[in-house]
Amino acid sequence: MAPADGGPASAAFDFEGRAISSNADDTIASALFRAGVRTFSRSFKYHRRRGLYCLTGDCPNCLMTVDGEPAVRTCVTPAAGVRRVTRGAGWPSAERDALSILWRLRALMPVGFYYKSMIRPRWVFPIAERVIRRIAGLGPVPRTPSGSTKERMNHHPDVVVIGGGIAGLSAALAAAEGGERVILVEEGAIGERIPPGALRDRIAALRDALSRHPSATILERATAVGIFEGPLVPVVGDDLLHLVHPLRIVVASGAVERHAVFPGNDLPGVFLGRGASRLAGVHGLTPGRAIVVATSTLEGLQHLDVLRRHAGDQRDATVVAVVVPAALASRVPAGIEVIADGTVVEALGSGALHSVVIEAAGRRRTVPCDTLVLSTGLEPRDGLLRQAMLESVRGAGDVTHPGCSEEEAEASGRQTGAAASTADWNVTNGAPPTSPNASGGFICLCEDVSVTEFEHAWDEGYRSTELLKRYSTVTMGACQGALCHAHLKAFICRRSPTSWAGRPTTSRPPARAIRLEDLAAGARVPVEHHTSLHHRHVGDGAVMDWAGSWKRPSNYGDVELEYWAVRRHVSLMDVSTLGKYRVAGPDATAFLEHIYPCRVDDLKPWRSRYTLLLNEAGYLFDDGLVCKLGDGSYYVSFTSSGGDGAESWLREWADALRLRVHIANMTASRSAINVAGPRARELLSRLTSDPLDAQAIPPGGLREVVVDHVPCLAIRVGFVGELSYELHHPSRQSETLWNSLLDAGRDLDVRPHGLDALKLLRLEKGHILIGQDTDFDTTPSKVGLDFAVKMNKPDFIGRTALQRIATLPRERSLLSMTFAGKRAPEEGAQLFAAGAHIGNLTSSRFSPVLGCGIALGWVRHPAGSPPARITARDTLGEYEGVVTRGPFYDPKGERLRA
Amino acid sequence: MTLKVICPNCGPRYSTEFWFGGEVLPPEAPDAPNADPLQADFERVWLRINRSGVQGERWFHHAGCRRWLIAERDTRTNEFHGPG
Repeated sequence: MAPADGGPASAAFDFEGRAISSNADDTIASALFRAGVRTFSRSFKYHRRRGLYCLTGDCPNCLMTVDGEPAVRTCVTPAAGVRRVTRGAGWPSAERDALSILWRLRALMPVGFYYKSMIRPRWVFPIAERVIRRIAGLGPVPRTPSGSTKERMNHHPDVVVIGGGIAGLSAALAAAEGGERVILVEEGAIGERIPPGALRDRIAALRDALSRHPSATILERATAVGIFEGPLVPVVGDDLLHLVHPLRIVVASGAVERHAVFPGNDLPGVFLGRGASRLAGVHGLTPGRAIVVATSTLEGLQHLDVLRRHAGDQRDATVVAVVVPAALASRVPAGIEVIADGTVVEALGSGALHSVVIEAAGRRRTVPCDTLVLSTGLEPRDGLLRQAMLESVRGAGDVTHPGCSEEEAEASGRQTGAAASTADWNVTNGAPPTSPNASGGFICLCEDVSVTEFEHAWDEGYRSTELLKRYSTVTMGACQGALCHAHLKAFICRRSPTSWAGRPTTSRPPARAIRLEDLAAGARVPVEHHTSLHHRHVGDGAVMDWAGSWKRPSNYGDVELEYWAVRRHVSLMDVSTLGKYRVAGPDATAFLEHIYPCRVDDLKPWRSRYTLLLNEAGYLFDDGLVCKLGDGSYYVSFTSSGGDGAESWLREWADALRLRVHIANMTASRSAINVAGPRARELLSRLTSDPLDAQAIPPGGLREVVVDHVPCLAIRVGFVGELSYELHHPSRQSETLWNSLLDAGRDLDVRPHGLDALKLLRLEKGHILIGQDTDFDTTPSKVGLDFAVKMNKPDFIGRTALQRIATLPRERSLLSMTFAGKRAPEEGAQLFAAGAHIGNLTSSRFSPVLGCGIALGWVRHPAGSPPARITARDTLGEYEGVVTRGPFYDPKGERLRA
Repeated sequence: MTLKVICPNCGPRYSTEFWFGGEVLPPEAPDAPNADPLQADFERVWLRINRSGVQGERWFHHAGCRRWLIAERDTRTNEFHGPG
């Protein structure tokens, strides 16, 4: 509780060059107010001065840029720890804003003017848009990456209660006492907005009781931003994004005091009752020196009491008049002028309030004052409640019974779900002291929409809530309709006889503004798979990059050196990322025969075959190798990025076909090193006594060999187009094997190669990369892989679809092309023939061994055969190319068969 | 949005642990004598019932038992009725 004099300063922050001191209980706004700041922002469209108004975080008036973050609600943000605060809009400053001239020009900017003006000539709009963007708005968006380290945390309570007032605390306590696990979420600190007194004590007592309960958790300074299906309630906290998955939800988010509309209602000095009361009672600040209170509720009289007590402490602050319905007149303390049944018709002032015009008994009078406090009833803060049309979500307290008493709030919290009482909860004692038919004033403070503009829009034919909302942008601003939604509904209901016209607008998440960095909480660190050799690659200075969920070396510093090591000597590559599976069982052969488009039943033991994977639509989604180890025993591999999904695919078909097969995922337990290059056999023979010649392991063959005491399955593969052995071995022996190979091959200049070299090596052989050279609807024949599809097999997945596709004309093909010159076109370069666009490149590299550019690209050729000559165009120029037949390098495969 | 999928091996778990495998197709009927097998295949691959109500669905529990399961879900309420 703040001492009345504001207490000793405990901290300070910078406000546009001024040092502002604050005490422990201060919000940024209260510290600024104490320092004499009255203009808290400039309005969105007309740059009108705006001062503190609600102090409950519901209106847009106090939005400022805090430590680089725009649109922070300073009235609910503690001052502690804040370093720098600036007002968002205003030129040259919010205090003296030259743009306030816009208010005088308002006739030129009627509602929706940007839909109608600046359309012709067409070049006007891009310029106007840039100007408007600079003028309007809430401050610049930060350009630097967020340093947020926010993580996610899941909670699975029985109940989540949103709101820490009487109703919320009672609901949480009742649930906890009933044996339920409960989480209570409060946007601020519980009770901090309530002036000292019986109510604050009562809230403190409830909070203590709840915090002692072992099954209750209280999250303060945590904002529930929505209610999603599940149900799921994301709650943004200081250092965590809480994902709360409750069984039921109690929304006790309370109510906002009703925004009153009359000319001048946005002048600094006009306050909502709770705002003025908080300023006086909690922060020890008087909102002004001459105060007029206009109220129709008992709550308003409580605010009057707080203000009077506080004004009494401040010699020069007085409540000069109270405007109340006659029924309440007797309850106003003696010594204050009472204007019974009066109506506030206008607030006067230029930049700050200096008097209000009050009409009573048919006469108008002007009362000089610098503060007008309005307490004219409550509007439920029901955005969250309206989002969730779920059985398990209930409201309690002011949000469902606006204006209920403390006892009633407690009762409704304790019995959430029980039928609502029939009592008339929204207690107003007589007509509110403001007119519902005001002809001026702002309905929407966020977007500067006035009554006049509503009328214009109505006359133009926007005659339902949803249309009027979109056209005028009312309810679409920072407050998300907290103040204006009721006025929008009321406006339409007054003018339209149809019952549906004034329906509430749709409420959607987020209910409160949310930072992008909060949405991304926990997503900073994706699942990252490492091979057993990961630390070796990093230690060798490898540039690591993503490959699916894996991190793989792109290169070890010199791609060209790595490339020539494969072509001329011998090189190693860590291929442990391949998806690796054992498939075995009595039906294993029948199973693989069905899922692969190639033949499997004629495969001899210790032989392998290249396989495609097709889905039922006949489209290519992965490729790999099938190796036969013996009768009913296979070792199959998939690509690195497809390996994870392959398991679901294998199991799906094993289930569907009801075959007796076992599938074991060996991806993690088995690692693999590819030893490639003309001297690969020479290197391996130094480490093994097992035979490695073409007789023992022919191309496409495999054999169990022991390499320097590491048992390996050696598979002759041909992806890079040189003699190569893929050594599959137990993962924990991976480093031993890697070191042995590097040590034994030192005089052969053995070195590892990364993905950059691999992509060039495979392109020279014309091998496609699934996902890079293919689309989702690529059939094998479009990419020249017909050899791997045996249509004469009785059945395989995708066979019928391929038959059907074969009846359709083929329109696109992946073709090989060469480009003369020292540079190859960029990947993605566009292709032209005879001046017409016909496709694009998917893979392109300069081939050192061939001395020209080589590429794969998709070409459209609706009629007949594709063109022989082709032009590629990228950001740097044009390239003349020739369509060839692959592979580019060693077309007869002699090096492979060495 | 998180749904609670009932896995026969692991119990009720959040749908973020699963991959969705689509609706369960009716068993393949033996070809009618005059039916066009290519057209039948096309319909099977590309056309879905998209039922409003309870439908059988396949889910793969990738972050759990790594097995396929068939669950019944009411597409109007997203309520799961357990393995079908």
